[in-house]
Amino acid sequence: MATILSFLKKYRVAAISAICMMLIELSVELIQPILISKIIDDGIAHDNISVVWLWGGVLALSALLAFGAGVASSFFASHASQGFGYDLRDKLYAKVESFTYAVFNKFQASSLITRLTGDITQLQEMVFMSLRFATRVPLLVTGSMIMALVVNFKLGLMLVVTVPLLVWFVTWMLKKTSAKFREVQAGMDTVNGVIQENLTGMRLIRIFVRMGHETERFKRRSGELMQGTVTALRLTETTMPLLLLVMNASVIAILWFGRIDIVSGNASTGEVVAVLNYSFRTIGALSALSWIMSSYSRAAASGLRVIEVLETEDTQSTNSVGHADSERLGEVEYKNVHFRYPDGDISVLEDISFKILPKQRVAIMGATGSGKSSLVGLLPRLYEATEGVIRIDGVKITDMEYTVLREAIGYVPQEVILFSGTVKDNIAWGVPEAGMEQIIQAAKQAQIHETIESLPKGYETMLGQRGVNLSGGQKQRLSIARALIRKPAILVLDDSTSALDVRTEAALLQALTELECTTFIITQKISSTTSADVILLLDEGRLIANGTHEELMASSELYRKIYESQHGEGILHVQDIR
Amino acid sequence: MFKTFVEPFKHPYPEMDEAALAKYPGKRPKVRAKNWSGTLLRIWKYLANRKAKLSLVLFMVVISSVLALLGPYLIGIAVDDFIEGVGGSPWMLFLAGLGLIYAGSSLSTWLQNIWMIEIAQETVYRMRMDLFQHLHKLPIPFFGKRQQGEIMSRLTNDIDNVSSTLNSSAIQIFSSVLTLIGTVGVMLYLSPILTLLTFVIVPLMVLGMRWITRRTGPLYKERQKNMGELNGYIEETLSGQRIVTLFSQEQRVITEFRQRNEAIRQAGFWAQTISGTIPKLMNALNNLSFALVAGVGGFLAIRGTITIGVIIVFVEYSRQFTRPLNDLANQWNSLLSAIAGAERVFEVMDEEIEERSDSASVKLEKMQGAVVFDDVAFAYDEGRDTLSGISFEAKPGEMVALVGPTGAGKTTLIQLLSRFYDPVKGRITVDGTDITSISHENLRSHMAFVLQDTFLFKGTIRENIRFGRLDATDEEVEDASRLANAHSFIMRLPGGYDKVLDTGGSGISQGQRQLLAIARAILAGPNILVLDEATSSIDTVTEIKIQEGLQRLMQGRTSFVIAHRLNTIRKADKILVLKQGHLIEQGSHDELLEKGGFYSDLYHGHLSMNGEEEHV
Repeated sequence: MATILSFLKKYRVAAISAICMMLIELSVELIQPILISKIIDDGIAHDNISVVWLWGGVLALSALLAFGAGVASSFFASHASQGFGYDLRDKLYAKVESFTYAVFNKFQASSLITRLTGDITQLQEMVFMSLRFATRVPLLVTGSMIMALVVNFKLGLMLVVTVPLLVWFVTWMLKKTSAKFREVQAGMDTVNGVIQENLTGMRLIRIFVRMGHETERFKRRSGELMQGTVTALRLTETTMPLLLLVMNASVIAILWFGRIDIVSGNASTGEVVAVLNYSFRTIGALSALSWIMSSYSRAAASGLRVIEVLETEDTQSTNSVGHADSERLGEVEYKNVHFRYPDGDISVLEDISFKILPKQRVAIMGATGSGKSSLVGLLPRLYEATEGVIRIDGVKITDMEYTVLREAIGYVPQEVILFSGTVKDNIAWGVPEAGMEQIIQAAKQAQIHETIESLPKGYETMLGQRGVNLSGGQKQRLSIARALIRKPAILVLDDSTSALDVRTEAALLQALTELECTTFIITQKISSTTSADVILLLDEGRLIANGTHEELMASSELYRKIYESQHGEGILHVQDIR
Repeated sequence: MFKTFVEPFKHPYPEMDEAALAKYPGKRPKVRAKNWSGTLLRIWKYLANRKAKLSLVLFMVVISSVLALLGPYLIGIAVDDFIEGVGGSPWMLFLAGLGLIYAGSSLSTWLQNIWMIEIAQETVYRMRMDLFQHLHKLPIPFFGKRQQGEIMSRLTNDIDNVSSTLNSSAIQIFSSVLTLIGTVGVMLYLSPILTLLTFVIVPLMVLGMRWITRRTGPLYKERQKNMGELNGYIEETLSGQRIVTLFSQEQRVITEFRQRNEAIRQAGFWAQTISGTIPKLMNALNNLSFALVAGVGGFLAIRGTITIGVIIVFVEYSRQFTRPLNDLANQWNSLLSAIAGAERVFEVMDEEIEERSDSASVKLEKMQGAVVFDDVAFAYDEGRDTLSGISFEAKPGEMVALVGPTGAGKTTLIQLLSRFYDPVKGRITVDGTDITSISHENLRSHMAFVLQDTFLFKGTIRENIRFGRLDATDEEVEDASRLANAHSFIMRLPGGYDKVLDTGGSGISQGQRQLLAIARAILAGPNILVLDEATSSIDTVTEIKIQEGLQRLMQGRTSFVIAHRLNTIRKADKILVLKQGHLIEQGSHDELLEKGGFYSDLYHGHLSMNGEEEHV
């Protein structure tokens, strides 16, 4: 938690101001009962009207003072908490962006997103609350107890005995209920999961006539949810009445002893009233206690999740050996490369060696899970090879700076990732300063220019949620254009032509030939391997064949089998272009 | 030091025009129900099942409100009679009475809460069940018309909304009103002048709240918008981190992120500051009335008009009185949004269901699988035929391939056969019986589907296959998997048949999911089989396995295949070539080639199916 709180240091002046203002507000509230007792004892008891007006006036003024202080505290607290949130978010995002891809993947994008959004908001709320009322409640409770003791020690003891007991009780209840509520939440997730499944699988359920089966399942789950909710809520609802009961018991005790003391002359009426007043205030504050404690425990959980990211050690090595500015030719060599994922125990790639000359086209084939994507993923150092060496133009890639290495490689991943913004923005994404001419040229090479022109606003058409939905094939070509605009020496297409029809694919491959870059194409289609200079055939992480189409037809049985299964297919192969 | 102190004062106040402000006259619920009384009446019908308990709850609310009022009042009396004056013997009795009242107050509060929770949760349970069952009776087009997320939100958010409101708001509103009336009544009885003074703060409070909410409304909206943008940005860049990394754009996204982060800080600062003054204002007004009551009360006490006890009662009451007022505003809003939520739930329940039991007159015990389409036409929207003039015949055991460009109506044809939709013209018969006279359930129990996008439930592989026939034994499940070529890959998975799959079936490949769907269909043992062949690239080895599995599945059954692969099409007994909703050619592969029409053009590569779609 110290790490998190250190982010508040920059705003300590505002934070301290906020707390001071809150203390002013608080002391006004704590003084009120004393002032009332003064009105009773000095004013009413002695029939002295001017004393009543005096203290009444002081009360009114102090109310205004408290208001001013309250507004100011809210002002400073906002500044401190917003600044805190800003800094923390900024730092965390920068940290995440500094991760190597392997570490990034270990956390998973979805989890990092929650940490950056929900968790930070939670922490920020907690800071704001702490500066304004969360710290106020314990202070009010302690303050009331002390003031009660000051006013009348013996009667004040009543509060001192009951309050800690109640605080303990509230904490204990909170622990019990939050465990129950976690169960309820889990139950809720299950019920929602069943609903989600049923909606998604609605047609299937109808076809297999399984409505009864599903209803039964849903009934069981929501029955459990109902039971759980009832139990949890009942427990929560027990807290307040019990708390009130105990506090009220101490009120009766104060009345009882107060009267004895008044009769014996050890206490005044005003004192008794003041102590009563303090106990009423304590009751009010205590009822907020369980709410505050549960928000703290939620915030603590968020804090831990944020810290986990902030404290992950992962520095990108910044080697600067390679020749940063020299022209890349695009010669690629893998030598005895082995790879397994960090903390994975399955060997993904085993002893891969091959050499590709500049401007050659390489087709990579193999079944799902044979290691094709991993093979090309090692090239831009998304992952590091566990053994062996990879060289580009004779330079070890581990000796090159990330930016230098990655600028040489145009990579089109398997799953299409586009960003919201215009078509133009997306193509120029890697080269923000690119001119319109370059953008159009890249689009033409990727065979997407005509499609873009036919869009309502051409290159300015918005993509994504609020814009046009492109078909799978169109998206693929767009992300190819995005890679091409960088004029890479090496182009990697990770199964990124799967949704293109034969003719478009052929045109694309033709355009790539003119580009003169070393090209790696992962594919399932024989139609795109025939034009390759080298075909790499992978099976369970091993390179089982390496050569031209003719060579492989002669030497590899698996390749022949694949060829036969697809022969002549291209013609009738319908691609779902939506 | 001083510089950092003044820093907060430098936040520029976001500009807001009067027009934007005018839209926020104060707190308003986001959604309002259209038909108030109708919806309330229906909620009441659900609640009415527990009438007896509900009236007990209401009774308890009355009791607890009265007791809560009595508490401070008795304290006043205690101060006046026993502490200030010197009372006699009933002191003990009095305290005992006070104790009883306190105990009764706690007990009645507790009882009303736990009873209400039970009623509320049971009501919500029944609503949820009714809605769920109704969903399964709704016709499939209903789901096509709406976004899944929207239906989902009715089943989850809206119902939760109803649930939490019933749990607390409903009785709180009731008790707040009671307490309010009671408090004002007792206050008026004790001292009309002090009551009036206490009321002075009410218009102040209303004005203050209006002033604040008019400003916080747009500010929160602004903040919400900025927050949405920032979160969207985070989500997008982190989901696309691979691209960010590969294109070395880390610095740029950090800069862009910072701009959005800054925007949030500005809007957030003012929203929080101004809304933060709401509780302060309430507090201040409370304190003010406290001062008024003390001062004027003291004055009156000296005059002898009232007693000290009355002052104490007033001090307590004036606090009790602003709180329910504030509560009421909040609870009222949540009640309104719950009613709106309930209305959205009822809307779904009012949708027409798929079939009424009377329409299904024929029940087929056995099915041969002879399917005839006779001049069938169908339109999703009136006036625009998706299919028209479709006539063909499929003999039992035949394999029919559907071929044609995307949008030609292949999927629609299949949906008519399974009665997701009914034709607008013509008829479809199975074994000579018009399918509209067969119940959905009976008809579908003789069919099985293997769709391109295989749906898997959260559960074990075994459960997922068994979905095809619930009473199948473990051996039958495994036999089916063997036939489908799925057995060997299942056995290689950690956990084998007991491996738990997530919704959507992550953890296994798309091809493997299809194998499971085939196993599921084999287990179901249908007479009519519908297949939608995969278009996306499944790896070649799995592809070969799928083909084998499908061949075994199709044996001896009438099957309809939306075909994409030449191998499949060639094997078909009959090929139906669809184009723009018309059946333009039908016959076997050889017949169609001989004919030299569209199909033969396709086959010889003069036309590309999607090429046509894209360039026409």
